Amino acid sequence: MNLFAIKEAAKQALSQKGVKFVIGYTKGSYGFRVAPCFVESEGEAEKLLFSPLCDLSLVNYLTLERNTPLEKGGKSPEEKMGIFVRGCDSRAINQILSEKGIKREELILIGIPCPGVIDLKKLEGKFPGVLGQAEVEEKAGIYIIRFGGESSAVKKEELLSEKCKHCAFPTPLVYDLLVDEKVEAKEERYEDIKLKEEATLEEKGEFWKNEFSRCIRCYACRNACPLCYCEDCILERLSPQWVKRSVNPGENLIYHLVRAFHLAGRCAGCGECERVCPVKIPLMLLNRKLEKDNQALFNFMAGMDPEQKQQFLTSFDLKDSGDFIL
Amino acid sequence: MSNFEPNIIAFLCNWCSYAGADLSGTSRYKYPANIKILRVMCSGRVNPLMIVQAFREGVDGVVISGCHPGDCHYTQGNYFARRRFILFRRFLEFLGINPERLALSWVSASEGKRFADLMGEVTEKIRDLGPIKDFTEEN
Repeated sequence: MNLFAIKEAAKQALSQKGVKFVIGYTKGSYGFRVAPCFVESEGEAEKLLFSPLCDLSLVNYLTLERNTPLEKGGKSPEEKMGIFVRGCDSRAINQILSEKGIKREELILIGIPCPGVIDLKKLEGKFPGVLGQAEVEEKAGIYIIRFGGESSAVKKEELLSEKCKHCAFPTPLVYDLLVDEKVEAKEERYEDIKLKEEATLEEKGEFWKNEFSRCIRCYACRNACPLCYCEDCILERLSPQWVKRSVNPGENLIYHLVRAFHLAGRCAGCGECERVCPVKIPLMLLNRKLEKDNQALFNFMAGMDPEQKQQFLTSFDLKDSGDFIL
Repeated sequence: MSNFEPNIIAFLCNWCSYAGADLSGTSRYKYPANIKILRVMCSGRVNPLMIVQAFREGVDGVVISGCHPGDCHYTQGNYFARRRFILFRRFLEFLGINPERLALSWVSASEGKRFADLMGEVTEKIRDLGPIKDFTEEN
């Protein structure tokens, strides 16, 4: 990835009229961490970077920025926001745009064709206790990892994030500036989902019970999700309290069911929920199962068209299958 | 379990299925007492959260019934319901919950006999499946 192109793109975006800041990635304070940063001037743009370590989505900052309570008598901000988007982020943005969560006019999208990012949990498992700043570079299917004066090479497949293994949209679908050559897409076949579906009901029940029993209900998956930007979240409602706060297998099942179903036909597959989960629940399996069904049954894919008039669950087709109806 | 009596909730739409159930009663057809009827204005009003809530409260099966396609009082409410529950049933199955516990049916106001038969059928099916445990499990 060409770092110069990234900085230039940010400067170009900042030089446009009314652009307040550009949200991008910069070096983290320790180890393999990469930090999000808001760049407000061209000088600051020098600290921007993109590497396979940039596994976090920045889309959330857009909706957070828009939902910030205004000061008394303050005016709604008219400034534009610039943001770096990878393929999956661009789908999330498309979906938010189609839901009219943000306006297209207030965005400058700098697209990064993304060859896939590293799962930090895997990387930190392989190199535990790295505190000094580390760098990772990708060269022909191999990650070159440098820290503390040493460098080691690891195969890409070993560290690649799960979501990137299934990624069908590495090149952003919507952008104003593109920093690099487009990445060739591979077809999504949902093979792992198909495998899971073939298991018996008991096996599936056992599997999910086992996974959900670890859940501590920190709601990180909801907070990190770019599409979970409702101001009034069903999980915080007290009357009626649809989702109770007790942490037990039954309630955890309800929580995950409700969370995933609220994202049915909306999930852009950015994998943020899975990334932030402290107890490693494979949440993307749930989201991708719904995505697979949506595509197979209704030929619907979230985040493909920012102009899309009707959302999936608020529309219907006379030809929808009714074979299960008694 | 031989003496297991399932608890079943039926969400019936005001315009067709509820009237169908009414007709079933006035025509003296018998259907199992396990069915507890909740009237909603339209099958499209039924939120998956309501079903989850029912399961949590110890209901073993849920029936949602509305007007036949094309007959909806609100023109299209039952189509929304259909799309929603196609997806929801498949998702329940993925989570290891038998999708048979959630039944969708179209019953018109003139189908009293059909309503009674359907409820008998559903009750038998749920009786065979036994009580639901997934949602009520505590530590």
